[in-house]
Amino acid sequence: MFLYQGPVKELDDKFVTLIGKFVADIKHGKIRGSTNRVLAMVTLLETIITESQYTTAVDLCGAIRAAGRQVMAALPNELVIANVARRLLRAIRDENRAQGNQGIEGSGESLQRLVLAASARRATLGTAQHDLREPLRDYIAELRGELESSISSICGQAREHVHGDELILTYGASPITERFLRAAAPRKYKLILAEGPDPTEEFYSELTVLIAEWSQSHAMANRLSAAGVPVTVISAASIYAVMSRVNKVVISVKAALGGGAILSEAGVFSVTLAARHYRVPVLALVPLYKLCPIHDLTPFNSSGSPHTALSYDHHEATSDNVHVYAPLYDFAPPDNVTLFITNLGGSSPSYMYRMLSELYDPSDYLL
Amino acid sequence: MQVAGVPLIDFTLESLSRGGVGEVILFCCKGGQKIKDYVRSCVEKKAIWSVTMEVQVMMSDTCQTMGDVMREIDAAGLIRGYFVLAGVNSITNIHFGSLLEQHKQTCKKDKGAAMTLVYKKVSWEHPLITSDKPTFLAANANTKKVLMHQKYKPKSTEKSINLPLEIVLNHSEVKLHHNLIDASIALCSPSVPPLFSDNFDFQTRDDFIHGILINEEILASSLYYTLLKGNQYAAAVTNWKTYQTVCHDVLHNWTYPLSIETGLCYQNTYLNMGNHNFRNRNSTLSRSSSVVENVLIGSKTNINDNTVVTKSMIGNQCVIGNNVTIKGSHIMNNVVIKDNCNIVNSFIDDNCIIEENSVVENGTIIASNVVVQAGSQLRGNILESTEAEREKTLMKSTSESTEWENESSGSGGDDFIGFEKTWSDSESCYSSDGSDESSLPDSPIPEDTNIFLQEVIDSLARGYEEKLKNDYLILEINSSRYAYNIQLHEVNFFVVRALLSIPVLADTKNVLSTVKDILKYFRPVLSNYIKTKSSVMDCLRAVEDSCIKCQWLEGKCGQILHLLYEADVVDEDSLLEWRQDLEENESPIANQPSLVKFFEWIEEASEESDESE
Repeated sequence: MFLYQGPVKELDDKFVTLIGKFVADIKHGKIRGSTNRVLAMVTLLETIITESQYTTAVDLCGAIRAAGRQVMAALPNELVIANVARRLLRAIRDENRAQGNQGIEGSGESLQRLVLAASARRATLGTAQHDLREPLRDYIAELRGELESSISSICGQAREHVHGDELILTYGASPITERFLRAAAPRKYKLILAEGPDPTEEFYSELTVLIAEWSQSHAMANRLSAAGVPVTVISAASIYAVMSRVNKVVISVKAALGGGAILSEAGVFSVTLAARHYRVPVLALVPLYKLCPIHDLTPFNSSGSPHTALSYDHHEATSDNVHVYAPLYDFAPPDNVTLFITNLGGSSPSYMYRMLSELYDPSDYLL
Repeated sequence: MQVAGVPLIDFTLESLSRGGVGEVILFCCKGGQKIKDYVRSCVEKKAIWSVTMEVQVMMSDTCQTMGDVMREIDAAGLIRGYFVLAGVNSITNIHFGSLLEQHKQTCKKDKGAAMTLVYKKVSWEHPLITSDKPTFLAANANTKKVLMHQKYKPKSTEKSINLPLEIVLNHSEVKLHHNLIDASIALCSPSVPPLFSDNFDFQTRDDFIHGILINEEILASSLYYTLLKGNQYAAAVTNWKTYQTVCHDVLHNWTYPLSIETGLCYQNTYLNMGNHNFRNRNSTLSRSSSVVENVLIGSKTNINDNTVVTKSMIGNQCVIGNNVTIKGSHIMNNVVIKDNCNIVNSFIDDNCIIEENSVVENGTIIASNVVVQAGSQLRGNILESTEAEREKTLMKSTSESTEWENESSGSGGDDFIGFEKTWSDSESCYSSDGSDESSLPDSPIPEDTNIFLQEVIDSLARGYEEKLKNDYLILEINSSRYAYNIQLHEVNFFVVRALLSIPVLADTKNVLSTVKDILKYFRPVLSNYIKTKSSVMDCLRAVEDSCIKCQWLEGKCGQILHLLYEADVVDEDSLLEWRQDLEENESPIANQPSLVKFFEWIEEASEESDESE
């Protein structure tokens, strides 16, 4: 039985409420940062696995698939969250197979068995009734460890990519680039930070009195220069002008797509395009959980509040004939990225499809 | 009532839950059961807001205004902490938690701080200002304390503003604001409900603001204001024009993260077609139809060949025929529009059917379940043909079989008629000792004067039937007068108007003798109110008004005046003065034969009396 044909379980009310709470938390901005969101999703799925009565592979897959679908429907922009469900589905499949093999022979998988029976068994779940919850708990603990450490393992590679006296350009603020650049600080490089369209952050003193209003990029520049990196902040408009002097471009991504393309904050496409024109290498920092088995973009470009482009104070803003667009994300094709730096090391865009099949099962690509 | 395809109440609840509110009390004065059912169904569907906050629906048919609601709340002791007061008609993406925190800081500095008003600053040309009541605000620049607050009527011609000198003298820096949108949101201290109870003449929030500013020393309370910044959006739907503007803003994502998808918890069903056109996945568009800009199309809606839609909202399950043009219109659910229709700047409510070749233009408002016959030409008010004039729409039925229901200005839907308030207990996400939310009546309350008139008619009719004592009736009228805040001269006017509108008159065959009877019976009431010369004029004006408006009095104006004259209610001088008025104003009754006859008689009578003297 192929899993995507398998039944999608009706989830208990208890779990639906849990999912609702999770969605509300994300929508209300209580869980910030992709890592935290992904970890919260792991916790959610773990609760569903441990508290439900399902034990067999088919049932568990149905439950996780249902939860994944609900979350995806509610948060279509959070591509990354569904990856957790895909990872778990893959784990259920693997565990099921391992258990099945033990049942027959009482020994581990042999190479011969893998080769002979691979295609037939890959996507099937069999009828064996094993309690998979125990091994799954172990796997979840492992997954959580991997997620938590993924950023630090990417940052561990910083010194291999950033060298002394280089001029690095980055676009906008993101926690992962900040940590990456900070880890590379001993290399004595110089940084150009191009302001993104990021919202201003309000800084409050202890008495919740507003003391400063900074854009996130400015705040990041401030912290980096405190860490000893010489930072120059430029406006996004002058990226092309400085690109000829830049040695490397470092960007973070929202999601890495199957074909090696990236989805990132609005404006990244022009940055990578300029880099490509000057043959400047573009490094994309991609923890593996951001790798999504999708290829197209159409439904995912949602727009944000247009106030970043035009203030509401202007009367043009509400004129019938003015259309203000403020897309949240940008799509950069595979050609524009030189290297993906994942937690398993660097890999080229053309290799990303291979990573996909290592992480997920092909029948789970469509949740 | 839907704004951009989402029930207004969903926007409000969603923004409350985003803002970290823990508990909502919805106060309904009308249609409470519907709202209750709706809220329950949402909770069953596990709408996102239902997970994080509790919604309690309260119903009260006796509450007419916000003042009544606040008094009720105070009497029930529902709110004990700081709270947010908002209307169901306001759409906002602000974070209530941080604003409330700010209000508490103000309260620490000034113990009397009662309310912080929330305003959004926009350009002067903004449609929300030009079509709503513009607000003028003077405030202390350092403390943000409101010193003066004034609302103007829409399109008022008043050119000057009086600013008391002491405002400028007593404060080192004064800020004047004129370009503010009032989102009908306010942050309140626990002292607000008792203030409403103590001052029973506060009907609305504006009364409250006004009262507090005038009696600042006596009430020991003060007001503050805050302006929203950058991406924070707040606006209130108060009339059709603001409705249109808010829909536009929602579609253009100014309210981000509130959007057309708000309220739909687990499905994001809209497809973006570019140019701010959105259509539901389940909607069907013909290949030859075209959707130009700012269009929202609901689910299972069918649009056929060669139809052009622009700047419009179309609800769910609508069927739009061939060669239809829809422009700047709002079409609700289950509407059928047949071929070759032309619909411009109009509002069509649920379940309407517009037959072939109809033209609906210029701010026509069609209520639910109406069938417009083939070939009808509906032009709301042709003189004022811009969209801005929707609220003034007249319903002229051109075809006899169509039933028109005149929807008064403002909001028609059921979700609209409600008050709302919330409070979050100590478990809410920001550690406060209770924050609440309550709201203004969002449908424009039926005008006080109309209610007052109805009440007076009722009391008089009852008094006449049951032969009650006139003293009691006077007492009754006086108490309604205070309840509805009616001026004395209006009372005079309405009492006479009511006398001539007692339902008995409509049924009787011999109107004049009944009128005579009534006048005789209510003589003490009349003499109580109609004493001075100006009150006599009020009385005469009321007669004029009744003669125009009541069918049973048609053509009998002169006789009625005669009766009044005989009963010594009116005197000659005022009658003559009134007649001049009539002629100057070209009143439709000025040339009525009965009236002309009456005045001839009067003149003769006065000449006779002169002669006899």
